[in-house]
Amino acid sequence: MSRWFPAVALGALLGLLAIASVLALRPGTPPTAVERADALAAELRCPDCQGLAVADSPTASAQEIRRQIGELVADGATDEEVRAHFVARYGEWILLAPSAPIVWLIPFAVILAAAAGLVVWLVRRRPAGTPAAGPVTDAERRRLHDEVEALDA
Amino acid sequence: MRALRWLLVPLIVVPVALLLLSGFGRDPREIASPLIGRPAPEWSLTTLDGETLAADDLAGRPYVVNFWASWCIPACVDEHPVLAAAHERYGDAVAVIGVLYQDAEADAEAFLRRHGDAGYRHLVDERGGLAIDYGVTGPPETFFVDAGGIVRGKVFGPMTDAIMSEHLAAILPAGSR
Amino acid sequence: MIPTIGHAAILIGLALTAYAGVAFVLAARGSGDRLMASGRRAVISSFVAALVGCAAMVISLLAHDFSVLYVAENNATTTPPFISAISLWAALEGSILFWALLATGWTSVVLWRNRDRHRALMPWVGATLAAVNLFFFAVMTWPGNPFTLTAPVAAEGIGPNALLQNHPFMALHPPLLYLGYTGMAVPFAFGVAALATRRLDEEWLRIVRRWTLVPWIFLTLGITAGAWWSYEVLGWGGYWAWDPVENAALLPWLTATAFVHSAMVAERRGGLRIWTVALVIFTFTLTLVGTFLTRSGVVASVHSFTQSSIGPWFLGAIVLALTGSLTLLVWRLPELIGGGRPSGLVSRESAFLLNNVLFLGLTFAVLFGTLLPLLVAVVSGDTISVGAPWYTAVAVPIFVALLFLMGIGPALPWGTASWTTIRERFALPVILAVVVVGAALALGLREIGSLGILGLAVMVAAIMVHEVVRGADARARGRGEDPLTAAWRLTTRNRRRYGGYAVHTGVLVMAVAVAVSSGLASDVTVTVEPGETARIGAYEIRHDRLVVEPLAADARVIETRAEITYSGPQSGTLRTALRDYPNSAAAIATPAVRTSLGEDLYVTLLASDPDSGAVTLHLFVNPLVVWIWIGGAIVGIGSAFAIWPEPKARRVTVEQAQPAPATASVEGA
Repeated sequence: MSRWFPAVALGALLGLLAIASVLALRPGTPPTAVERADALAAELRCPDCQGLAVADSPTASAQEIRRQIGELVADGATDEEVRAHFVARYGEWILLAPSAPIVWLIPFAVILAAAAGLVVWLVRRRPAGTPAAGPVTDAERRRLHDEVEALDA
Repeated sequence: MRALRWLLVPLIVVPVALLLLSGFGRDPREIASPLIGRPAPEWSLTTLDGETLAADDLAGRPYVVNFWASWCIPACVDEHPVLAAAHERYGDAVAVIGVLYQDAEADAEAFLRRHGDAGYRHLVDERGGLAIDYGVTGPPETFFVDAGGIVRGKVFGPMTDAIMSEHLAAILPAGSR
Repeated sequence: MIPTIGHAAILIGLALTAYAGVAFVLAARGSGDRLMASGRRAVISSFVAALVGCAAMVISLLAHDFSVLYVAENNATTTPPFISAISLWAALEGSILFWALLATGWTSVVLWRNRDRHRALMPWVGATLAAVNLFFFAVMTWPGNPFTLTAPVAAEGIGPNALLQNHPFMALHPPLLYLGYTGMAVPFAFGVAALATRRLDEEWLRIVRRWTLVPWIFLTLGITAGAWWSYEVLGWGGYWAWDPVENAALLPWLTATAFVHSAMVAERRGGLRIWTVALVIFTFTLTLVGTFLTRSGVVASVHSFTQSSIGPWFLGAIVLALTGSLTLLVWRLPELIGGGRPSGLVSRESAFLLNNVLFLGLTFAVLFGTLLPLLVAVVSGDTISVGAPWYTAVAVPIFVALLFLMGIGPALPWGTASWTTIRERFALPVILAVVVVGAALALGLREIGSLGILGLAVMVAAIMVHEVVRGADARARGRGEDPLTAAWRLTTRNRRRYGGYAVHTGVLVMAVAVAVSSGLASDVTVTVEPGETARIGAYEIRHDRLVVEPLAADARVIETRAEITYSGPQSGTLRTALRDYPNSAAAIATPAVRTSLGEDLYVTLLASDPDSGAVTLHLFVNPLVVWIWIGGAIVGIGSAFAIWPEPKARRVTVEQAQPAPATASVEGA
C-alpha cells in the first residue's frame, strides 16, 4: 500500500493546487465603494501618527482623510486618482507601500540569489556515489535507520 | 588574493557607518513638500474674529501661512514672537495668516491672550481640510506663498528670526525687505 | 544624598569594569588564574555597583525627588508607586542604567559558572564582556548621566509618558526584552574568544548554543509581550505594525534563531564554522544597531527618544564592535573554511541551510525596509514610507516557506534522503493535509491564505506526531517498553530534539493564530447615544453612559469613559476611555479587550460628545488572538525544556573478566 502513497499524495496535492488557483484567479464580484474606500484607507499613512494607516488611526486628520477618500470614491475617482490626490499634497510619503517596483523585488532577488547559490554549492560538492548494496536488506536498513534516528539527541 | 580578504572589513563597516551617520542632524519626521513651486491651495474659511476669508482675497500679495495649536508646547510658544515681529515689520507687504490645527477656538484665544495677539488673522480649520491640502503632519509648520500664488518655501518645526528673514526674502517684492 | 550615591556607584562601576578588562586581557596573555579571579571579583562588584545605581534611581523616583532631572522629566507627585518604580526603564538614561545592571549580571553569571572550565576561552570572554559593559558605564558617565541634577528644583514633575502608564505590561516587556538583548553579548564574547584562541570546536559550539538559547528565550518572550502590550494599549486593534523599534527587536531574534539551527549542522558535520561565528557577531551587532536606531532619533518610531548626544556614542560602539570582530573573523578565515562535506540536495542539512538563507533573507528585508527611507532621504532628499503593506507582502511568503521547512526538516535524515524515506515520512501527512483542506473548502472556507495556512499546519503537525510515534515505536520495540513509557523516556532523554518539537509546535500555533486573526478579523465604527445598541458579529453592544472624571490613581489625568454592556458569545460590562494626560497633546486611548479562547471583543473610544453623551466607538472582533500569546508561552516552555540539563548519566562499573564476545555486526542477519 505504501507504494501508492506518493502517487496519491502528489495527485491530491496537484488537484488541490488546481482548485486553489481557480478560486484565486476567478474574477469575483467587483469591490463596493465602501470596500474600495477601506482598501485605500489601509494604503495611506496617517499624517500625525507613527506609521499607522489612516484606516487604523483615531486622529482627526485620519478621520478627515477617510472622509475625503469616501467622497472621492463616490464622485467616481479611480484608485489611482485617489492616491494621486494625496500624493500631490504630502508626496510619496503618504503611501505606506513604496510605489517603485524595484523596492518590492530587491528582497526576493537577494533570497533567490542566495538560495540558488546554496543549491549550486550543494550539487557541486555532492558526496561521491552510494556504496553498492551489500547483504543488508532494505527492511534491515530501514529499521537500523529508524532506531538510530529515534535515539538521536 | 589572500590579502584581498582584508578589504571585507572596510567594505562592510564603512557603508554601514556612513548610512547611520547621515541620519544625524535630520529630523526623521520632516517630509519634503511636493507643493514647492506649485500653486498654493485654494480655501475659504472663517477667522477667529468671525469674518470669512478666502485665498482669493489675498491675490496679488505674498502671504505666510502658519499652522499652530494651543497644545503645541513649547514649539508654538517659542515661535510666536517671531511671527508677531514679522507681522509688525512686514504686515503691509506680506499677509501673515495663522491656521488652527486640531484646536478649539476657546483654547486658541486663551493662548493669544497669554502670549500676545499680534493682530494678524487666524483661520479656524474646522475639519482639518486645509492642513491636509498643505500636507501638514503636525504643528508648527509654516508655508511661504509669493504674490503669484506659488508656494516658495516650507518650514518644518518652530520658526526662528533667521529662517523667517531668509524665506521672507524669497517672497517679498524687491524694495520692501 | 541618594543621587550622589547613585552617581558614585556608576563611577565605581566604570572603574571596576576598566580594571576587570585589563585583568582579563593580561590573563589571556598567560598571566594566570589569579588575575582571572581578581577580574571576576571586579565584575561581580560592578554588578553590585549597577544594582546600587538602580536602587538609588528607584528610590529617587518613589520619593519624587525632582532635583534629579530624570525624575523631574518622568515622574510627578501624583504618579502611583508601581509606575514610579518601573519608570526606571521609562526613558533613555534610566534604561541604560537598567541595561548596565543586566549586562553586568550576565557577565557575572557566565564568569562564575565557568570559573573552573574552558580556561583558554574565559579570559577572552571576560575581556570582551568587560569592554561591552565599559561602553555602557561610559555612556552613563559622560553623555547620558541618569543622575544629572537640575536647579531650581521644580515643585512638580512632568510625569511619565502617558502611553507607559496604562498597562501593567510596562513592568514585563522591557525587562524581558533587555534580558534578551544584554544576554546576546555572551555568545558574541564566546565568538570573539574562539576566534582569538582558534578553539572553534564542538565544545565551543555546545557552550555557545546554550548561552544563546537562554537570551533567545527572553527575546522571544519579550517580543511577544511587546506585541501583547501594544495590542492591549494602543487601540488600533493590531499587535504588530512593523515600526522601527519592533523591527529592531526582531532583527537579532532572526539571526539568533538562524544560529540555533546552523549550530546543529556545524555540530554534526564540522562545517559551517565561519558562518556560525558570523551569526553570533551579527546578532550582537544588531542589538546595538537596534538600540541605536530607536535611541538616536535617526529613524522616527513609536519609541523615539528625542535626539540626544548618545546617538554618536552608539554609532561609535557599532563601528568598533563590527570592525574588531570582522577583523578577527577575516584573520582566521583561511583556517575556518572547510571541514566536512555537505550532504545531498535533499537532507536535513540542506533544509537547515535553506532555513538560514530564509532567516537571513528576512533579516536583510526588514533592515532594508527600516533603513530605506533614511537612504532615500540622504541620497535624493525625497521622503518615502515603508509600512505594513510592504513588510507583509515580503515577510509572509518567507514565513510560509520557513513553516514548510520547519515541517519537513525534522523528518529528513541527516544524510541524503532516499526516495523511500521521503515517501515514508511525507506522503501520509501531505494526504492528511489535503483531506483537511478539502473538507474546509467543502464546508465553505474560501479564503486562500487561511486555507494555505491550515493545510501547512496540518502537514507540519502530522509530520511531528509521526516522528514522535516512530521514535517511541522504535524505542518500545528495541527495549521492550510499553508505548507510553517509551514516548515519555524518548522525549525526556532527548530534550534537545523534543524540546525543539515543542518550540515548533508553539510557532505553529502562533502562525495559525496570526493568519486567522488577521485574515478573519472584522471591525466597524459606530456612533451611539446612551441606551442605543450596536452590533458586530454575534455581539450586541449597548452604550450605557458617558462619564468624565479625574482618575482615582492620579488626579491630574482626566478620563472620558464610555460604560458599555455587551452580550453574545461573551457577556458582561466593559469600560473604554480616552485619557487626557497633562504632558501629552493627544488623548490616550484605553481600549477594552474581552478575551476568550475563540476570539477577542475589542472596543476603542474614538470620540465623545459631552452634551448628548453620545460616543463614537471602534468595535473589533479578532478571532484566536489569545492563541498568539499561548503559542509564545509554548515556545518559551519548549525551549526551556530543550536546554534543561538532562539527568546525569549514572555511572556503571563494568567488570570485564574476559574479552566480550563480538557483538553481532550490522551486516548479516
